[in-house]
Amino acid sequence: MQIHERLLAEVSAERRRLSRRGMLSGSLKLAGGAAIALSLSNVPALRTPVAAQDFASDLDVLNYALTLEHLEYAFYRDGVGLFDFGTDGFGQSINDNLAAVRDHEGAHVTTLTDTITQLGGAPVAEQVYNFTDAYASVDGFIATAAALENTGVSAYDGAAQFITDPGLLTAAGSIVAVEARHASYLNLILNEVPFPASFETPLTMAEVLEIAGPFFA
Amino acid sequence: MTIRAQTTFEEPVDVLNYALTLEHLEYSFYRDGLEQFAEEDFVDAGYAAVVHEYFGAIRDHELEHVETLTTVITDLGGEPVEEAEYDFGYTDIAGFIGVAQALENTGVSAYQGAAQFLIDEDALLTAALTIHGVEARHAAYLNGLNGASPFPDAVNPTLTPDEVLAIAGPFIVS
Repeated sequence: MQIHERLLAEVSAERRRLSRRGMLSGSLKLAGGAAIALSLSNVPALRTPVAAQDFASDLDVLNYALTLEHLEYAFYRDGVGLFDFGTDGFGQSINDNLAAVRDHEGAHVTTLTDTITQLGGAPVAEQVYNFTDAYASVDGFIATAAALENTGVSAYDGAAQFITDPGLLTAAGSIVAVEARHASYLNLILNEVPFPASFETPLTMAEVLEIAGPFFA
Repeated sequence: MTIRAQTTFEEPVDVLNYALTLEHLEYSFYRDGLEQFAEEDFVDAGYAAVVHEYFGAIRDHELEHVETLTTVITDLGGEPVEEAEYDFGYTDIAGFIGVAQALENTGVSAYQGAAQFLIDEDALLTAALTIHGVEARHAAYLNGLNGASPFPDAVNPTLTPDEVLAIAGPFIVS
């Protein structure tokens, strides 16, 4: 089974589980750190997700990233034009900045798709998503955007350790930095601290799925 | 001078000392700047009071990065580099905020360029990336504060140690 097939299967299972728990609409908060163990025991700030081998190859990691980038790009592509977001605390147009975010996610989708193809892999395609709640209000849109970006950072940070090619690792680093910039900005728009902790929180694929899963239709 | 002109690292601990060199630079910059400029100075210069608060948060992050890297380097049997003497050349708050923007954006690119040298050290790589992301959050905020785009590129630029040295070196007096 390919990584995206497995991912979608897990999304489906996760949806059923969350649905049973009545959590489908309330799962934007970051999952707890149950699967995260201390890897450097006397430095509690440094955490490496201890996962079963989530990824068998660099291609698996890239398709995992592409799955999340598709989700992000579709979210902004279909939603940025729905609202007039006004002006941010810097005096900049929020619509303009969100359009830039959209374009970044689109560029990430293209880059990852091309890279996977060049490496002989099969890039995962865009799926059908459910952003009904997110698109219901400005606040819902911004909160969802912030959740997606902050989760994206954690997803890359959790998966990077499985990359074996130095060039791909650097490329992933240059994308996750942009996701972190987006997250900082969206936190700010949400009236939250742009940089809430001194370290990011790496998440396993299962933890990411718990957050992103409900958006898959 | 603790940043050596080089494009590679021999050992993981060398990568961490490179990161620590930059974190010392950043922490001392915020520590000393915030001793010089109080909240009312930020407000008098036209910034919201929360900007001063956020600068305090950034300073605290850099201190945690310094302390964490120092601990890890020591645990690995290495010798952590110490804080140097710096001259950041600013004379007012606007200048201070401008230097902050340059330091943070350089920091992001520096971690990004060095991460590949930790590719065989999963825990250290992950730790470095969790710092890298926070530097990127700082950089986005400081860009916005200086009237620039918080995220000017779809792909964040990567810098080699040599390139970082060219940018950060002039701040290091001894």
